[in-house]
Amino acid sequence: MEDNRAENMTESITQSTASASPPKEKSKYRLYQNTVFMFSTAWRVCKSVIFMVFFLAAVTAAKSVTELLAAPTMLQKIETAAPLSELIVVIVVFGMGLFLLAGLEAYVRQNALFGRIAVRQDLISQIGNKTARTSYPNTLSPDFLSFQAKSYKACADNTASAEAFWDSLTQLSANVICFLVWAVLLSRLNPFLMCLIGVVSGAGYVMRRQAYGWGWKHREEEAACHKRMDYICRMSTRRPYAKDIRIFGLRPWLEETWDHGFGEYQKFLVKREKRYLWADLGELALTLVRSGAVFASLIYQIFEEGLSVSQFFLYVTAANSFTLWVTGILDHFSRLHRQSLDLSVIREYLEWPEPFLLEKGKPLVQEAGKAYELRLKNVSFSYPGSGKDTISHMNLVVSPGEKLAVVGLNGAGKTTLVKLLCGFLDPSEGVVLLNGQDIRQYNRRDYYRLFSAVFQDFSVLEASVAENVAQKVDGIDLKRVEESITLAGLEEKAGSLPYGLDTKIGRQVYEEGVELSGGQTQRLMLARALYKQAPVILLDEPTAALDPIAENDIYLKYSQMAEGRTSVFISHRLASTQFCDRILFLEHGQIVEEGTHRQLLERKGRYASLFEIQSRYYRERGEEYG
Amino acid sequence: MDKAKEKMSLVKAIRYNGRAWGIWWKQCPGLFVSITLSSFMTAVSPYVSIWMIARIVDELAGSRQPQAVLRLVLAFLFVTGMITFAGNVFACVKRYETDSANCRYDRIFMDKMFSLDYEHMDSQGTYDLYSQIVQNDKWSGLGLHETIVLFENLITAGVRILGGMVLACSMFFAKVPEGRNGFLWLNHPLCVWILLLGLLLISVCSAACGDKGQGYWIRYADETRFGNRLAEYYVFFNKDKKRAMDLRMYEQQENICSVYLERENPFTLSSKIVRYAKGPMGAWMAGSKSISAILTAAVYWFVCLKAWAGAYGPGFVTQYIGASMNLFLGVADLINGFSLMISNGNFLEDVYEFLDISNTMYQGSLTTEKRMDRQYEIEFQDVSFRYPGTEKDVLCHVNMKFPVGSRLAVVGLNGSGKTTFIKLLCRLYDVTEGQILLNGIDIRKYRYEDYRNLFSVVFQDFQLFAGPLGETIAGSKGYEAFRAEDCLEKAGFVNWREVMGNGLHTFLYQDVEEKGVEVSGGEAQKIAIARALYKDAPFMILDEPTAALDPVAETEIYGRLNDIAGDRTAVYISHRLSSCKFCDIIAVFHEGKVVQTGSHEELIADGEGMYQKLWNAQAQYYRQAEVG
Repeated sequence: MEDNRAENMTESITQSTASASPPKEKSKYRLYQNTVFMFSTAWRVCKSVIFMVFFLAAVTAAKSVTELLAAPTMLQKIETAAPLSELIVVIVVFGMGLFLLAGLEAYVRQNALFGRIAVRQDLISQIGNKTARTSYPNTLSPDFLSFQAKSYKACADNTASAEAFWDSLTQLSANVICFLVWAVLLSRLNPFLMCLIGVVSGAGYVMRRQAYGWGWKHREEEAACHKRMDYICRMSTRRPYAKDIRIFGLRPWLEETWDHGFGEYQKFLVKREKRYLWADLGELALTLVRSGAVFASLIYQIFEEGLSVSQFFLYVTAANSFTLWVTGILDHFSRLHRQSLDLSVIREYLEWPEPFLLEKGKPLVQEAGKAYELRLKNVSFSYPGSGKDTISHMNLVVSPGEKLAVVGLNGAGKTTLVKLLCGFLDPSEGVVLLNGQDIRQYNRRDYYRLFSAVFQDFSVLEASVAENVAQKVDGIDLKRVEESITLAGLEEKAGSLPYGLDTKIGRQVYEEGVELSGGQTQRLMLARALYKQAPVILLDEPTAALDPIAENDIYLKYSQMAEGRTSVFISHRLASTQFCDRILFLEHGQIVEEGTHRQLLERKGRYASLFEIQSRYYRERGEEYG
Repeated sequence: MDKAKEKMSLVKAIRYNGRAWGIWWKQCPGLFVSITLSSFMTAVSPYVSIWMIARIVDELAGSRQPQAVLRLVLAFLFVTGMITFAGNVFACVKRYETDSANCRYDRIFMDKMFSLDYEHMDSQGTYDLYSQIVQNDKWSGLGLHETIVLFENLITAGVRILGGMVLACSMFFAKVPEGRNGFLWLNHPLCVWILLLGLLLISVCSAACGDKGQGYWIRYADETRFGNRLAEYYVFFNKDKKRAMDLRMYEQQENICSVYLERENPFTLSSKIVRYAKGPMGAWMAGSKSISAILTAAVYWFVCLKAWAGAYGPGFVTQYIGASMNLFLGVADLINGFSLMISNGNFLEDVYEFLDISNTMYQGSLTTEKRMDRQYEIEFQDVSFRYPGTEKDVLCHVNMKFPVGSRLAVVGLNGSGKTTFIKLLCRLYDVTEGQILLNGIDIRKYRYEDYRNLFSVVFQDFQLFAGPLGETIAGSKGYEAFRAEDCLEKAGFVNWREVMGNGLHTFLYQDVEEKGVEVSGGEAQKIAIARALYKDAPFMILDEPTAALDPVAETEIYGRLNDIAGDRTAVYISHRLSSCKFCDIIAVFHEGKVVQTGSHEELIADGEGMYQKLWNAQAQYYRQAEVG
């Protein structure tokens, strides 16, 4: 069993070196603060977690002590030729003790698990909410994203810091209890010896930590190798990449790239193992010194002070165990320290400042039939670090009920304009006004309710068709779902699905789910926007994946879709915007021309010349036959 | 896994594990050697110290010769030192080998995926199976990884049992001296057998209890598989940047994600497994450990009784207790190992099902001679095609012939079979009926690789790999830089030098290299076209080549398509019918059939045709403009 412990310990060191944040990095919260944090989280979620830590520690320690005392005690009875009855009593007592303690430990350990999982799940859901609900600009910040990734990792599984914290605490406490018991035991014998063992164990621990710290310090080197290999592996085992790999005969190249990464990794491993081996040897030397000293002192006592053989045996074993307790305490303490760094990251992530007024903002109650006017007043916007305005000094009024089109080349700033209108980004200069009021004062979540949108990037959920359209699980208005689906032109597909509107989309969660094509997904997103019935509807290139007839179909239904609402339609296909009341032509983040299609053509400006380019192929001879 | 419920027979489990070891052996034989040596040292070292300490104790309890004691202590230090040293060295090698093997694990699956026919790669079944394997591995390490752990456990257990037997066996033969009348029965062989049998029985009972307890977990894992899949998805889906806007605008986290997670959480404090843990599962687990304690007590009792009766000295007491405790730990490990082997067997079944997918595509042996004049002619003869496992013809009696150097356009609605047509042409799939001929010979008769080399394709959902630009274009480590540059420019990526700070060595994307360049959709498409050009194959296929491009870029590409294709035979698929006008032949697909073929002028003249409809849908807006 001693052997087992030693093994666990090395394992725990490698594990913790592999997972936690660097010890030197500055973190906002210290170990005691994070302990308080975990205790208060546990107090809220599942109080028993805290008691279980100490109870389990006590039971574990009691069991270890019993196990270690058994053999020497019996030996003593035999050595002193005590009456048989005494021997039997000793065996029965130890046997019963072990029977009860072993069972109790297993039982408590099993039951301690679930509370700990619940606490971790609570943290995960807090992290998830932060991720999904934080102000949009945060999601563009590399710092935020790096804290986000670390936070998820710190809750990833049972061995991640958010749960393993409790285990470290338990083991630390158990080791401390055992240490105290042994300290009393050994100090009766020879306090010097005890100090010696303590010092030597501590030195061994420091040495080992140094060595394992090397792996920690060079973890980025290791991660870089893995990153390359993992990427190649991911890409070679995914469906979308299979065609290109086969047609272009990419296998040798990918294998070579992988092998290269693997070679680098093996070089890294050799370097690492050399370090570890030196540390192991150093520790071995210290162990020999310690054992030698223990033997020398004990044998001296036997010859000179009449120590009994059973005591000799007890102390030899005790000296070994004492080493284990000392290293155990140091190990678990440093584990706890590293886990605390992870916990600090989680807390900092959860407390990340919000640039938008969310719940703290003024509530914005949507009123049926109320007209909403959007206005951009001298708005400029540049993405952090780009140094260039994506939108520059733009003035724009979107009147209630207007059908507005925004066209322009790639990179003209169309999508950024939409993000500003919807309140995903706040202007670097100028203001966005809703009915004359700066939108920044409102609860941003209320503001989002004014919009239904189809963006170029969308989030289809692994849920039923109806849930995807209604965007909720309970209280779905099925009639409205059907209407939206029909208007979006998806009714034929919906009718052919095995379970109708209850058919699940995607196969990551549901084995019987269906996969929609690009065009179908786009229509589904459109249906979703229609279901929401918000006062403003925004469509960013909603027909990119559709064939000409389907595309035309959407154009024809557009006025019906946008009926009674303000609508903004974005496209780089100029022809698609003729049914709008007003067209904005964007270039370099500015509105260079605006007006109806006809007006813009008559101006013979940029719009007209682009239109000319696009329609050239359609006219030439097409016209003659048309 | 639905099949996990039936328990696998031990024989089958052993066979499965054997096969897994075979697979690993091929990847990394050093792993087995290092594990064996290191496990041996790990298992032997406690016995050595037990034995040596027992000798010291004996010497101290017996003759008490200081010289002899000193010798023994020095020997102890030397021997344990050597064994620990060897153990450390082997452990280092083992860690090196294990970490390497963990990487090689991926290679096993990559190799399989590379060698699979596209048909299997494209099938949902294959993909599901692989995801299942990945998930098993991630969730519990069960599958191939586990077999390495098993090997180590079994070897260690084996050495432990052997060592324990060696050190403990003399206990059974040591006789209680004559004269201790009450204890002579301890000498009787039956006594030994009863004891051994009892101990074995206890070991088995303990393992069985543990199994019973674990059974609750396994069954629960099975019951909550859906919940786990759901959690796997919904816990992490909101990290996806592409979802960020929709998440907020449609309140997906609040209205769907949280609702689902809460409803299907397998680990709430009131869940079944928590009740099991408080009740039967906890009891079985506790029982398993408690029964082991009985075993310990029985060993104490037997060893001490015999010693008390005078069969051997105190040194042997320590030796026998230590050895038999270790021996039974070994037995327990062995039993656990076998039961783990059985439960792992079910997971290996998935792995083998995947590794055993066999390729069915006919592999011809004809070589396609490399013709400088690119005189290749393709003909579709009455080709029909159904995707495997489906009933419906995606292509239906397609006849088509396209001569060398021609430009072919394929148009039609979404789902009319255009992309499938391309897949058949490149032989990603084989036809269900009919045949495709290359220079008059069925394409299946050519060597697959040779045939595939005739095609350069830019798929609609083309994928670029995150590597240096030059390598990505050439698809290999070595490439001709000037050609790569030339292709980039021909593909219309004129300002590539500005975008790619480090020239052809610039990494695409940031997946592997932080300084990589995140190219836009349009740029990616141009790079994909450059890649197709670099391959310089006789057939050039472009599936929606301009979907991600804006009007100006689109016009540019169209203007140059003719130049780009040069003397190659080119096939275009497009929703922008304007791009088809300059093609020699336009084939209109509708519901899997070719409904019209001809030049633009011919087709537009057919007032009733599908082509006319498609054309009008787009052209009307531009014509109105003409009027305006």
